[in-house]
Amino acid sequence: MRELELYFGPQHLGMVGNFSITLKVEGDRILEAQANPGYLHRGFEKLMEYRTWIQNFPLVCRINVVEPDHIEMIYAMAVEKLAQIEVPEKAHFVRSIYLELARVGSHLFGLWAYANMLGFDTVAQWAMYHRDLVLDLFEELTGGRVYHIYIWPGGVRRDFPPGFADKMVNTLHSIGGCVPDYDSTFFNNRLFYERAKGIGQLTQREAKEWGAMGQTLRATGVKFDVRKAEPYAAYDKVDWDVPVREDGDAYSRVWVIRDEMIESVHMIFKLLDAMPEGPVYNRIPNPFKWNIPKGEAYVRCESSRGELGLYLVSNGGDKPYRVHFRTPSYPHGLIILEKLLRNASIADVGNIMISLYVVAPEIDR
Amino acid sequence: MSESLKEALESTFKDIQVSVHEDSRIAVTAESHSVLAILKFLKDAGFDHLALISSVDWIEDNVIELCFILTCYERGGEHANSQKMHIILKTPIPREQPQFKTVIGVFPNAEPYEREIHELFGIDFEGHPRLTPLLLERHYEIPPFRKDFDTRKYVEEVFDSIPSIEPEKT
Repeated sequence: MRELELYFGPQHLGMVGNFSITLKVEGDRILEAQANPGYLHRGFEKLMEYRTWIQNFPLVCRINVVEPDHIEMIYAMAVEKLAQIEVPEKAHFVRSIYLELARVGSHLFGLWAYANMLGFDTVAQWAMYHRDLVLDLFEELTGGRVYHIYIWPGGVRRDFPPGFADKMVNTLHSIGGCVPDYDSTFFNNRLFYERAKGIGQLTQREAKEWGAMGQTLRATGVKFDVRKAEPYAAYDKVDWDVPVREDGDAYSRVWVIRDEMIESVHMIFKLLDAMPEGPVYNRIPNPFKWNIPKGEAYVRCESSRGELGLYLVSNGGDKPYRVHFRTPSYPHGLIILEKLLRNASIADVGNIMISLYVVAPEIDR
Repeated sequence: MSESLKEALESTFKDIQVSVHEDSRIAVTAESHSVLAILKFLKDAGFDHLALISSVDWIEDNVIELCFILTCYERGGEHANSQKMHIILKTPIPREQPQFKTVIGVFPNAEPYEREIHELFGIDFEGHPRLTPLLLERHYEIPPFRKDFDTRKYVEEVFDSIPSIEPEKT
Protein backbone atom coordinates (compact mmCIF):
# COMPACT_ATOMS: atom_id res chain seq x y z
CA MET A 1 0.00 0.00 0.00
CA ARG A 2 1.14 3.52 -0.71
CA GLU A 3 2.63 5.66 2.04
CA LEU A 4 0.98 9.02 2.54
CA GLU A 5 1.77 12.09 4.56
CA LEU A 6 -1.24 13.39 6.46
CA TYR A 7 -1.52 16.68 8.31
CA PHE A 8 -3.63 16.37 11.43
CA GLY A 9 -4.57 19.75 12.91
CA PRO A 10 -3.96 22.55 13.93
CA GLN A 11 -7.74 22.87 13.59
CA HIS A 12 -9.37 19.55 14.23
CA LEU A 13 -12.35 18.26 16.17
CA GLY A 14 -10.22 15.60 17.74
CA MET A 15 -7.97 17.99 19.57
CA VAL A 16 -8.19 20.96 21.86
CA GLY A 17 -6.06 23.95 21.01
CA ASN A 18 -3.71 24.73 18.18
CA PHE A 19 -1.37 21.84 17.78
CA SER A 20 -0.67 19.77 14.73
CA ILE A 21 0.71 16.34 14.05
CA THR A 22 2.30 15.20 10.82
CA LEU A 23 1.43 11.58 10.27
CA LYS A 24 3.01 9.11 7.90
CA VAL A 25 0.28 6.61 7.15
CA GLU A 26 -0.21 3.42 5.22
CA GLY A 27 -3.91 2.70 4.82
CA ASP A 28 -5.29 3.85 8.14
CA ARG A 29 -2.27 2.66 10.13
CA ILE A 30 0.20 5.27 11.35
CA LEU A 31 3.83 4.51 10.64
CA GLU A 32 5.31 7.60 12.17
CA ALA A 33 4.04 10.73 13.90
CA GLN A 34 5.72 14.06 14.39
CA ALA A 35 4.29 16.62 16.76
CA ASN A 36 4.46 20.24 15.57
CA PRO A 37 3.93 22.73 18.36
CA GLY A 38 4.59 26.45 18.02
CA TYR A 39 1.23 27.81 16.86
CA LEU A 40 0.79 29.50 20.24
CA HIS A 41 4.37 30.47 21.01
CA ARG A 42 4.12 33.89 22.62
CA GLY A 43 7.58 33.97 24.19
CA PHE A 44 6.31 34.49 27.73
CA GLU A 45 9.57 33.40 29.30
CA LYS A 46 11.42 36.13 27.42
CA LEU A 47 8.73 38.76 28.02
CA MET A 48 8.91 38.08 31.75
CA GLU A 49 12.59 39.08 31.80
CA TYR A 50 11.49 42.62 30.89
CA ARG A 51 8.81 43.03 33.55
CA THR A 52 8.98 43.46 37.30
CA TRP A 53 8.21 40.63 39.67
CA ILE A 54 4.62 41.76 40.22
CA GLN A 55 3.95 42.80 36.62
CA ASN A 56 4.49 39.18 35.62
CA PHE A 57 1.36 37.90 37.35
CA PRO A 58 -1.06 38.82 34.54
CA LEU A 59 1.34 37.10 32.12
CA VAL A 60 1.92 33.79 33.86
CA CYS A 61 -1.73 32.85 34.12
CA ARG A 62 -2.05 33.03 30.34
CA ILE A 63 0.42 30.18 29.86
CA ASN A 64 -2.28 27.60 30.39
CA VAL A 65 -5.67 28.80 29.28
CA VAL A 66 -7.61 25.92 30.83
CA GLU A 67 -6.29 26.20 34.35
CA PRO A 68 -4.29 29.35 35.02
CA ASP A 69 -4.37 28.94 38.79
CA HIS A 70 -1.59 26.44 39.27
CA ILE A 71 0.77 28.57 37.22
CA GLU A 72 0.01 31.59 39.42
CA MET A 73 0.64 29.40 42.43
CA ILE A 74 3.97 28.14 41.24
CA TYR A 75 5.25 31.59 40.30
CA ALA A 76 4.18 32.94 43.68
CA MET A 77 5.88 29.98 45.38
CA ALA A 78 9.14 30.60 43.53
CA VAL A 79 9.11 34.34 44.31
CA GLU A 80 8.37 33.58 47.96
CA LYS A 81 11.23 31.13 48.08
CA LEU A 82 13.73 33.56 46.55
CA ALA A 83 12.58 36.58 48.56
CA GLN A 84 11.97 34.51 51.70
CA ILE A 85 8.44 35.69 52.30
CA GLU A 86 6.29 33.89 54.85
CA VAL A 87 2.68 32.99 54.07
CA PRO A 88 0.04 33.08 56.83
CA GLU A 89 -1.54 29.79 57.88
CA LYS A 90 -5.00 30.67 56.62
CA ALA A 91 -3.68 31.66 53.21
CA HIS A 92 -2.30 28.14 52.79
CA PHE A 93 -5.80 26.74 53.26
CA VAL A 94 -7.40 29.33 50.99
CA ARG A 95 -4.82 28.52 48.33
CA SER A 96 -5.42 24.79 48.57
CA ILE A 97 -9.19 25.20 48.31
CA TYR A 98 -8.79 27.54 45.37
CA LEU A 99 -6.41 25.15 43.59
CA GLU A 100 -8.67 22.15 44.15
CA LEU A 101 -11.61 24.11 42.79
CA ALA A 102 -9.47 24.89 39.76
CA ARG A 103 -8.68 21.19 39.41
CA VAL A 104 -12.38 20.32 39.42
CA GLY A 105 -13.07 22.98 36.77
CA SER A 106 -10.18 21.84 34.64
CA HIS A 107 -11.12 18.16 34.86
CA LEU A 108 -14.69 19.00 33.88
CA PHE A 109 -13.31 20.81 30.86
CA GLY A 110 -11.14 17.79 30.11
CA LEU A 111 -14.18 15.55 30.40
CA TRP A 112 -16.03 17.82 28.00
CA ALA A 113 -13.21 17.52 25.47
CA TYR A 114 -12.98 13.76 25.80
CA ALA A 115 -16.72 13.08 25.72
CA ASN A 116 -17.16 15.49 22.82
CA MET A 117 -14.43 13.75 20.84
CA LEU A 118 -16.04 10.33 21.40
CA GLY A 119 -19.46 11.66 20.40
CA PHE A 120 -21.06 11.66 23.85
CA ASP A 121 -22.62 15.07 23.31
CA THR A 122 -24.97 14.96 26.29
CA VAL A 123 -22.21 14.21 28.77
CA ALA A 124 -20.06 16.89 27.15
CA GLN A 125 -22.79 19.49 27.63
CA TRP A 126 -23.29 18.47 31.25
CA ALA A 127 -19.58 18.80 31.94
CA MET A 128 -19.46 22.20 30.29
CA TYR A 129 -22.46 23.36 32.32
CA HIS A 130 -20.91 22.17 35.57
CA ARG A 131 -17.64 23.85 34.70
CA ASP A 132 -19.60 27.03 34.21
CA LEU A 133 -20.92 26.74 37.76
CA VAL A 134 -17.33 26.50 38.98
CA LEU A 135 -16.42 29.56 36.91
CA ASP A 136 -19.29 31.45 38.58
CA LEU A 137 -17.66 30.70 41.92
CA PHE A 138 -14.37 32.04 40.63
CA GLU A 139 -16.10 35.15 39.38
CA GLU A 140 -17.54 35.84 42.78
CA LEU A 141 -14.23 35.19 44.51
CA THR A 142 -11.80 36.98 42.21
CA GLY A 143 -13.76 39.04 39.70
CA GLY A 144 -12.52 37.05 36.71
CA ARG A 145 -13.99 33.95 35.17
CA VAL A 146 -11.03 32.47 33.32
CA TYR A 147 -7.95 34.39 34.48
CA HIS A 148 -8.09 35.09 38.18
CA ILE A 149 -4.72 36.47 39.38
CA TYR A 150 -5.79 35.63 42.91
CA ILE A 151 -2.62 34.17 44.40
CA TRP A 152 -0.02 36.74 45.30
CA PRO A 153 3.43 36.50 46.91
CA GLY A 154 2.72 36.46 50.64
CA GLY A 155 -0.77 34.99 50.41
CA VAL A 156 -3.90 35.64 48.37
CA ARG A 157 -5.46 38.91 47.27
CA ARG A 158 -8.51 38.81 49.51
CA ASP A 159 -10.39 36.61 51.90
CA PHE A 160 -13.52 34.65 50.94
CA PRO A 161 -16.46 37.06 50.68
CA PRO A 162 -19.34 36.51 53.16
CA GLY A 163 -21.41 33.45 52.26
CA PHE A 164 -18.94 32.26 49.66
CA ALA A 165 -18.00 29.05 51.48
CA ASP A 166 -21.67 28.00 51.72
CA LYS A 167 -22.26 28.77 48.09
CA MET A 168 -19.21 26.73 47.13
CA VAL A 169 -20.39 23.77 49.21
CA ASN A 170 -23.85 23.95 47.62
CA THR A 171 -22.43 24.11 44.10
CA LEU A 172 -20.09 21.19 44.73
CA HIS A 173 -22.93 19.16 46.23
CA SER A 174 -25.08 19.76 43.20
CA ILE A 175 -22.23 18.73 40.87
CA GLY A 176 -21.50 15.71 43.06
CA GLY A 177 -25.17 14.73 42.92
CA CYS A 178 -24.76 14.19 39.19
CA VAL A 179 -21.92 11.68 39.54
CA PRO A 180 -24.33 8.68 39.25
CA ASP A 181 -25.68 10.19 36.03
CA TYR A 182 -22.17 10.64 34.67
CA ASP A 183 -21.35 7.07 35.66
CA SER A 184 -24.36 5.49 34.04
CA THR A 185 -24.18 7.50 30.82
CA PHE A 186 -20.44 7.67 30.36
CA PHE A 187 -18.00 5.97 32.69
CA ASN A 188 -19.87 2.66 32.93
CA ASN A 189 -21.07 2.85 29.36
CA ARG A 190 -20.11 -0.09 27.17
CA LEU A 191 -19.40 2.28 24.27
CA PHE A 192 -16.83 4.20 26.26
CA TYR A 193 -15.23 0.93 27.36
CA GLU A 194 -15.01 -0.42 23.83
CA ARG A 195 -13.67 2.84 22.49
CA ALA A 196 -11.03 3.53 25.15
CA LYS A 197 -9.91 0.14 26.49
CA GLY A 198 -6.43 -0.75 25.29
CA ILE A 199 -6.01 2.51 23.36
CA GLY A 200 -2.69 4.28 23.82
CA GLN A 201 -1.35 1.73 26.24
CA LEU A 202 1.73 2.62 28.23
CA THR A 203 3.72 0.39 30.57
CA GLN A 204 5.06 1.63 33.87
CA ARG A 205 8.65 1.41 32.67
CA GLU A 206 7.90 3.37 29.48
CA ALA A 207 6.00 6.02 31.41
CA LYS A 208 8.94 6.62 33.72
CA GLU A 209 11.48 6.53 30.93
CA TRP A 210 9.62 9.15 28.89
CA GLY A 211 9.06 11.48 31.80
CA ALA A 212 5.32 11.00 32.31
CA MET A 213 3.59 12.64 35.27
CA GLY A 214 0.06 13.16 36.50
CA GLN A 215 -2.74 10.87 35.29
CA THR A 216 -0.59 9.39 32.57
CA LEU A 217 1.79 8.07 35.23
CA ARG A 218 -0.85 7.23 37.84
CA ALA A 219 -2.85 5.24 35.29
CA THR A 220 0.11 2.86 35.05
CA GLY A 221 0.02 2.12 38.76
CA VAL A 222 2.65 4.52 40.13
CA LYS A 223 1.28 6.30 43.17
CA PHE A 224 3.11 9.55 42.63
CA ASP A 225 1.64 12.94 43.31
CA VAL A 226 3.64 16.10 43.99
CA ARG A 227 1.04 17.09 46.59
CA LYS A 228 2.11 14.01 48.57
CA ALA A 229 5.78 13.88 47.61
CA GLU A 230 6.57 17.51 48.35
CA PRO A 231 3.54 18.97 50.14
CA TYR A 232 2.91 22.65 49.59
CA ALA A 233 0.04 24.95 50.69
CA ALA A 234 -2.15 22.94 53.12
CA TYR A 235 -2.07 19.53 51.44
CA ASP A 236 -0.30 17.91 54.39
CA LYS A 237 -2.90 19.22 56.85
CA VAL A 238 -5.77 16.99 55.77
CA ASP A 239 -6.13 13.34 54.94
CA TRP A 240 -6.67 12.36 51.33
CA ASP A 241 -5.80 9.63 48.87
CA VAL A 242 -4.15 9.43 45.45
CA PRO A 243 -6.35 7.56 42.92
CA VAL A 244 -4.43 4.99 40.88
CA ARG A 245 -5.27 2.58 38.05
CA GLU A 246 -3.17 -0.24 36.69
CA ASP A 247 -3.69 -0.63 32.94
CA GLY A 248 -2.07 2.50 31.55
CA ASP A 249 -4.52 2.96 28.67
CA ALA A 250 -6.93 5.77 27.76
CA TYR A 251 -9.69 4.09 29.76
CA SER A 252 -7.60 4.08 32.95
CA ARG A 253 -6.47 7.67 32.43
CA VAL A 254 -10.03 8.94 32.13
CA TRP A 255 -11.06 6.95 35.20
CA VAL A 256 -8.17 8.44 37.18
CA ILE A 257 -9.43 11.89 36.17
CA ARG A 258 -12.92 11.02 37.42
CA ASP A 259 -11.67 9.67 40.75
CA GLU A 260 -9.41 12.66 41.22
CA MET A 261 -12.28 15.06 40.73
CA ILE A 262 -14.28 13.35 43.47
CA GLU A 263 -11.23 13.27 45.75
CA SER A 264 -10.72 17.01 45.17
CA VAL A 265 -14.29 17.79 46.18
CA HIS A 266 -13.91 15.76 49.39
CA MET A 267 -10.63 17.53 50.04
CA ILE A 268 -12.28 20.95 49.71
CA PHE A 269 -14.86 19.98 52.36
CA LYS A 270 -12.12 18.77 54.72
CA LEU A 271 -10.03 21.90 54.14
CA LEU A 272 -13.04 24.14 54.81
CA ASP A 273 -13.63 22.37 58.12
CA ALA A 274 -10.00 22.65 59.19
CA MET A 275 -9.46 26.24 58.03
CA PRO A 276 -8.09 28.47 60.80
CA GLU A 277 -8.92 32.13 61.33
CA GLY A 278 -6.45 34.91 60.65
CA PRO A 279 -5.06 37.17 57.95
CA VAL A 280 -4.76 35.92 54.37
CA TYR A 281 -1.73 37.89 53.26
CA ASN A 282 1.52 39.32 54.51
CA ARG A 283 2.59 42.70 53.24
CA ILE A 284 5.25 42.64 50.54
CA PRO A 285 7.73 45.47 49.86
CA ASN A 286 6.85 48.29 47.46
CA PRO A 287 6.56 46.45 44.12
CA PHE A 288 8.21 49.29 42.21
CA LYS A 289 11.39 49.07 44.28
CA TRP A 290 11.39 45.38 44.97
CA ASN A 291 14.78 43.79 44.37
CA ILE A 292 14.99 40.10 45.08
CA PRO A 293 18.34 38.70 46.25
CA LYS A 294 20.49 36.76 43.82
CA GLY A 295 19.63 33.09 43.70
CA GLU A 296 17.88 30.26 41.94
CA ALA A 297 14.95 28.06 42.81
CA TYR A 298 13.17 25.08 41.33
CA VAL A 299 9.66 24.67 42.69
CA ARG A 300 6.95 22.29 41.60
CA CYS A 301 3.30 21.64 42.19
CA GLU A 302 0.72 19.16 40.94
CA SER A 303 -1.38 20.83 38.30
CA SER A 304 -4.38 18.94 37.00
CA ARG A 305 -2.14 17.51 34.27
CA GLY A 306 0.92 16.50 36.23
CA GLU A 307 4.06 17.98 37.63
CA LEU A 308 4.32 21.67 36.92
CA GLY A 309 7.77 23.05 37.64
CA LEU A 310 9.39 26.45 37.52
CA TYR A 311 13.07 27.22 37.39
CA LEU A 312 13.47 30.86 38.41
CA VAL A 313 16.78 32.74 38.52
CA SER A 314 17.31 36.16 40.02
CA ASN A 315 20.46 38.23 39.64
CA GLY A 316 19.51 40.61 42.42
CA GLY A 317 17.44 42.94 40.26
CA ASP A 318 13.82 44.05 40.13
CA LYS A 319 13.04 41.64 37.28
CA PRO A 320 13.59 37.90 36.86
CA TYR A 321 16.82 36.98 35.09
CA ARG A 322 15.57 33.70 33.69
CA VAL A 323 12.23 31.94 33.86
CA HIS A 324 11.66 28.42 32.61
CA PHE A 325 8.43 26.52 33.08
CA ARG A 326 8.36 22.74 33.10
CA THR A 327 4.83 22.13 31.96
CA PRO A 328 3.32 18.64 32.17
CA SER A 329 2.02 18.68 28.59
CA TYR A 330 5.55 19.09 27.30
CA PRO A 331 6.74 15.49 27.73
CA HIS A 332 3.20 14.15 27.19
CA GLY A 333 2.62 15.98 23.93
CA LEU A 334 6.09 15.86 22.42
CA ILE A 335 7.45 12.46 23.45
CA ILE A 336 4.74 10.12 24.65
CA LEU A 337 2.20 11.15 22.00
CA GLU A 338 4.68 10.48 19.20
CA LYS A 339 5.56 7.07 20.64
CA LEU A 340 1.97 6.01 21.28
CA LEU A 341 0.77 7.03 17.84
CA ARG A 342 3.15 4.63 16.15
CA ASN A 343 1.06 1.70 14.82
CA ALA A 344 -2.19 3.27 16.01
CA SER A 345 -5.05 3.89 13.60
CA ILE A 346 -6.02 7.35 12.34
CA ALA A 347 -9.34 7.20 14.19
CA ASP A 348 -7.50 6.95 17.51
CA VAL A 349 -5.31 10.05 17.16
CA GLY A 350 -7.71 12.38 18.95
CA ASN A 351 -8.55 9.70 21.47
CA ILE A 352 -4.91 9.22 22.44
CA MET A 353 -4.10 12.91 22.44
CA ILE A 354 -7.02 14.00 24.58
CA SER A 355 -6.63 11.09 26.98
CA LEU A 356 -3.02 12.25 27.51
CA TYR A 357 -4.58 15.57 28.49
CA VAL A 358 -2.34 17.65 26.24
CA VAL A 359 -2.96 21.40 26.26
CA ALA A 360 -1.19 23.20 23.44
CA PRO A 361 -0.54 26.65 25.00
CA GLU A 362 1.32 24.94 27.81
CA ILE A 363 3.78 23.37 25.40
CA ASP A 364 4.47 26.55 23.45
CA ARG A 365 4.49 29.03 26.30
CA MET B 1 20.87 11.23 52.49
CA SER B 2 22.00 14.59 51.21
CA GLU B 3 25.35 14.46 52.99
CA SER B 4 26.09 10.88 51.98
CA LEU B 5 25.23 11.72 48.38
CA LYS B 6 27.56 14.70 48.56
CA GLU B 7 30.39 12.48 49.81
CA ALA B 8 29.70 9.86 47.16
CA LEU B 9 29.71 12.47 44.40
CA GLU B 10 32.87 14.16 45.62
CA SER B 11 34.76 10.91 45.99
CA THR B 12 33.72 9.64 42.55
CA PHE B 13 34.27 12.76 40.46
CA LYS B 14 37.03 15.35 40.42
CA ASP B 15 36.51 19.08 39.79
CA ILE B 16 33.00 19.04 41.13
CA GLN B 17 31.33 21.37 43.60
CA VAL B 18 28.40 20.11 45.61
CA SER B 19 26.37 22.23 47.99
CA VAL B 20 23.42 21.06 50.05
CA HIS B 21 20.67 23.59 50.77
CA GLU B 22 18.02 23.73 53.43
CA ASP B 23 15.09 23.27 51.06
CA SER B 24 16.29 19.75 50.12
CA ARG B 25 17.98 21.10 47.02
CA ILE B 26 21.43 19.86 46.05
CA ALA B 27 23.33 22.09 43.65
CA VAL B 28 26.14 20.46 41.68
CA THR B 29 28.50 22.34 39.38
CA ALA B 30 30.69 20.34 37.05
CA GLU B 31 32.76 20.63 33.89
CA SER B 32 30.89 19.83 30.72
CA HIS B 33 32.89 16.69 29.86
CA SER B 34 31.88 14.89 33.06
CA VAL B 35 28.16 15.73 32.96
CA LEU B 36 27.15 12.54 31.17
CA ALA B 37 28.91 10.36 33.72
CA ILE B 38 27.42 12.31 36.62
CA LEU B 39 23.93 11.98 35.17
CA LYS B 40 24.42 8.21 34.84
CA PHE B 41 25.65 8.05 38.42
CA LEU B 42 22.68 10.03 39.72
CA LYS B 43 20.21 7.95 37.74
CA ASP B 44 21.63 4.79 39.28
CA ALA B 45 21.48 6.47 42.70
CA GLY B 46 17.71 6.78 42.38
CA PHE B 47 17.16 10.15 40.70
CA ASP B 48 15.33 8.60 37.78
CA HIS B 49 13.27 11.54 36.55
CA LEU B 50 14.76 14.31 34.44
CA ALA B 51 12.29 17.08 35.16
CA LEU B 52 13.80 19.83 33.07
CA ILE B 53 16.80 20.94 31.08
CA SER B 54 17.15 24.68 31.22
CA SER B 55 19.81 27.20 30.32
CA VAL B 56 20.77 30.63 31.57
CA ASP B 57 22.73 33.15 29.53
CA TRP B 58 25.26 34.79 31.87
CA ILE B 59 26.41 37.37 29.36
CA GLU B 60 28.86 39.12 31.73
CA ASP B 61 30.77 35.90 32.37
CA ASN B 62 30.49 34.99 28.69
CA VAL B 63 29.01 31.58 29.42
CA ILE B 64 25.70 29.84 28.96
CA GLU B 65 24.88 27.64 31.89
CA LEU B 66 23.06 24.39 31.21
CA CYS B 67 20.95 23.14 34.13
CA PHE B 68 19.67 19.60 34.53
CA ILE B 69 17.01 19.21 37.19
CA LEU B 70 16.54 15.71 38.54
CA THR B 71 13.93 14.35 40.90
CA CYS B 72 12.88 10.83 41.81
CA TYR B 73 9.65 8.98 41.08
CA GLU B 74 9.66 6.70 44.05
CA ARG B 75 11.44 6.46 47.33
CA GLY B 76 14.20 3.93 47.38
CA GLY B 77 17.79 3.55 46.45
CA GLU B 78 20.77 4.35 48.59
CA HIS B 79 20.60 8.14 48.45
CA ALA B 80 17.21 9.17 47.14
CA ASN B 81 15.26 8.34 50.25
CA SER B 82 13.17 11.46 50.17
CA GLN B 83 10.96 12.43 47.26
CA LYS B 84 11.43 16.03 48.28
CA MET B 85 15.03 16.02 47.19
CA HIS B 86 15.97 17.46 43.87
CA ILE B 87 19.29 18.03 42.19
CA ILE B 88 20.26 20.96 40.00
CA LEU B 89 23.31 19.99 37.96
CA LYS B 90 24.91 22.97 36.27
CA THR B 91 27.65 23.21 33.71
CA PRO B 92 29.04 26.29 31.95
CA ILE B 93 29.44 26.33 28.18
CA PRO B 94 31.37 29.09 26.35
CA ARG B 95 29.04 31.40 24.43
CA GLU B 96 31.22 31.48 21.31
CA GLN B 97 31.51 27.70 21.04
CA PRO B 98 28.19 26.43 22.30
CA GLN B 99 28.61 22.69 21.98
CA PHE B 100 27.52 19.86 24.18
CA LYS B 101 27.00 16.12 23.95
CA THR B 102 23.39 14.99 23.97
CA VAL B 103 22.14 13.17 27.07
CA ILE B 104 19.39 11.24 25.28
CA GLY B 105 21.34 8.02 25.91
CA VAL B 106 20.81 8.43 29.65
CA PHE B 107 17.43 10.15 29.74
CA PRO B 108 15.33 9.59 26.58
CA ASN B 109 12.95 12.39 27.58
CA ALA B 110 15.74 14.96 27.09
CA GLU B 111 14.97 15.13 23.37
CA PRO B 112 12.48 18.03 23.14
CA TYR B 113 14.26 20.01 25.86
CA GLU B 114 17.53 19.89 23.94
CA ARG B 115 15.72 20.79 20.75
CA GLU B 116 14.21 23.83 22.42
CA ILE B 117 17.53 24.98 23.88
CA HIS B 118 19.17 24.54 20.50
CA GLU B 119 16.55 26.78 18.97
CA LEU B 120 16.34 29.45 21.67
CA PHE B 121 19.95 29.57 22.86
CA GLY B 122 21.86 28.20 19.88
CA ILE B 123 23.57 25.32 21.66
CA ASP B 124 24.51 22.43 19.38
CA PHE B 125 23.87 19.04 20.88
CA GLU B 126 26.20 16.49 19.30
CA GLY B 127 24.48 13.22 18.49
CA HIS B 128 20.93 14.56 18.76
CA PRO B 129 18.75 12.81 16.14
CA ARG B 130 16.71 15.86 15.06
CA LEU B 131 17.72 19.41 15.88
CA THR B 132 14.92 20.81 13.74
CA PRO B 133 12.95 23.96 14.64
CA LEU B 134 10.41 23.35 17.38
CA LEU B 135 8.61 26.55 18.34
CA LEU B 136 9.78 29.45 16.18
CA GLU B 137 8.69 30.23 12.66
CA ARG B 138 11.77 31.92 11.23
CA HIS B 139 15.52 31.87 11.58
CA TYR B 140 17.21 34.44 13.80
CA GLU B 141 20.87 35.47 13.56
CA ILE B 142 21.15 35.74 17.32
CA PRO B 143 19.18 33.03 19.08
CA PRO B 144 16.24 34.96 20.57
CA PHE B 145 16.50 33.92 24.21
CA ARG B 146 20.10 35.11 24.52
CA LYS B 147 20.54 38.31 26.47
CA ASP B 148 22.07 40.25 23.57
CA PHE B 149 18.98 39.73 21.39
CA ASP B 150 17.39 43.16 21.15
CA THR B 151 13.64 42.57 21.30
CA ARG B 152 12.73 46.21 20.73
CA LYS B 153 14.90 46.49 17.63
CA TYR B 154 13.48 43.22 16.33
CA VAL B 155 9.89 44.35 16.82
CA GLU B 156 10.56 47.66 15.07
CA GLU B 157 12.26 45.98 12.13
CA VAL B 158 9.69 43.26 11.64
CA PHE B 159 6.38 44.84 12.55
CA ASP B 160 6.94 48.53 11.79
CA SER B 161 7.91 47.67 8.23
CA ILE B 162 4.39 46.34 7.59
CA PRO B 163 2.45 49.19 5.92
CA SER B 164 -0.70 50.29 7.70
CA ILE B 165 -3.99 49.23 6.16
CA GLU B 166 -5.81 52.55 6.39
CA PRO B 167 -4.84 55.22 3.87
CA GLU B 168 -3.07 58.19 5.44
CA LYS B 169 -5.13 61.34 5.77
CA THR B 170 -3.99 64.26 3.68
